Amino acid sequence: MNTHNTTLSDQELHAYVDGTLSEERRAEVDLLLEQDEALAARVGDYFSLNTMLRERYDRVLDEPLPQRLRAVVTTASTSKPGRAWGAAANWPQFASMAAMLVFGIGVGLSYNALHGSGSNDSSGFNTAQSTNVTAARYNEPITNFAQQAAIAHVVYAPDTQHPVEIGQDHEQDLVKWLSSRIGMDVHPPSLAASGYQLIGGRLLPGNEGPIAQFMYNDAHGERVTLCISRRHTQTKTTAFRLYQDGPVNVFYWVDGDIGYAVSGGIDHQQLLGLAHDIYAQLTMANPGGTSNDRSTMPVATD
Amino acid sequence: MDMQNELLAHLPRLRRYARALVNNRELADDLVQDTVERALGKLSLYAAGTDMRAWLFTIMHNVFANQMRKSSSRAVHLSVDDDEGGSLQDLAVSGNQLPSLEVRDLDYALQRLPLDQRQVVLLVGLEEMSYAEVALALEVPLGTVMSRLSRGRERLRALMSGASSAAAKLTVVK
Repeated sequence: MNTHNTTLSDQELHAYVDGTLSEERRAEVDLLLEQDEALAARVGDYFSLNTMLRERYDRVLDEPLPQRLRAVVTTASTSKPGRAWGAAANWPQFASMAAMLVFGIGVGLSYNALHGSGSNDSSGFNTAQSTNVTAARYNEPITNFAQQAAIAHVVYAPDTQHPVEIGQDHEQDLVKWLSSRIGMDVHPPSLAASGYQLIGGRLLPGNEGPIAQFMYNDAHGERVTLCISRRHTQTKTTAFRLYQDGPVNVFYWVDGDIGYAVSGGIDHQQLLGLAHDIYAQLTMANPGGTSNDRSTMPVATD
Repeated sequence: MDMQNELLAHLPRLRRYARALVNNRELADDLVQDTVERALGKLSLYAAGTDMRAWLFTIMHNVFANQMRKSSSRAVHLSVDDDEGGSLQDLAVSGNQLPSLEVRDLDYALQRLPLDQRQVVLLVGLEEMSYAEVALALEVPLGTVMSRLSRGRERLRALMSGASSAAAKLTVVK
């Protein structure tokens, strides 16, 4: 134990850093490091490098999986066997997405808790809820609305057969029907500038009454949904807020008594761009209620 | 179907590695997508019950090597646009102790490592593969893995310490 323990090979040094050295040799190296300051500094740097790499890139693990990657894996099953088979083959994916949703509620909660109070204030908008943190925040009707929008997105957006109740080829009927059920004029905005075309829409049940859902897709089949709901309570224009439910991101905001939520599995920035576009077309054109804050656009609460 | 779920479960790690390797979100996801497509095409060659992660990383390595070969005629300059301007996701983890300058230094330094060293440093340091697993994934001898790791780490350390050349030895950094 004292013939070769005074020298340290490069290989052993790295094995020490990566934790693959035997316990006995490890103790010897510990002793060596105590006596050699330069060596200790080098080893310390190697440890820090590993830590920095993890701190820098581990966040990728928590990002929602881009739809295109998910699609590559899932469409592989639907393309091989027949149609009916395909629908069944999607089930595991649905199940896992549903599981992620349940799990994601926690993520959404902590995200809001983290960002709710401080950042709303800095954006200059009164959200009337900025004082409550954690559990109370989760129970807010507007957060529920965002959650309902996320769930509806996960249920209907991947549907190949009946993603919408009324297609865009009957847009007038769709608008008339949804407007009468919601109790105000609702029009789907045009997202063509961002490459998204209207597919159609449907009516959804919500905690505060019916919700109109419009669905769009782009040339690659990526789908986003917009939910509009009439709310019981009046609020000033709120900032855009992000609700994250597993693979789905939702930007939502309230103007007067109308709640808006745009959901998609796409990148935050892209989705935020769509939210701005929708805001410009709908909220500005169709101000709901008593808000006087409309001179400025909401900004993301971050 | 089980294989697909297993494949899906590996995607976050493939993405993490690819992101560090090319430091550009879109290009990294392109690499992952090509890898997954290739893997699905060769799924019959995959022996169920064996290490799918190692198999996927080997495929990714080959896909990446091919991409580099194809694009070697034109200069490969990857824009470091990733997370620039602070995405919301970034803010969500702003508890991160590293000052952003250091983070950018790390991205910058990594991109300045020769590819074969960068791969080994990342597979060991980020993916926490054993040296033997890295040797399998990259299809090189163990000794090569060790020398690349050694040179790569020392170079990265020198770059991070602000030394202008990789020759700097035993520079003490914080």
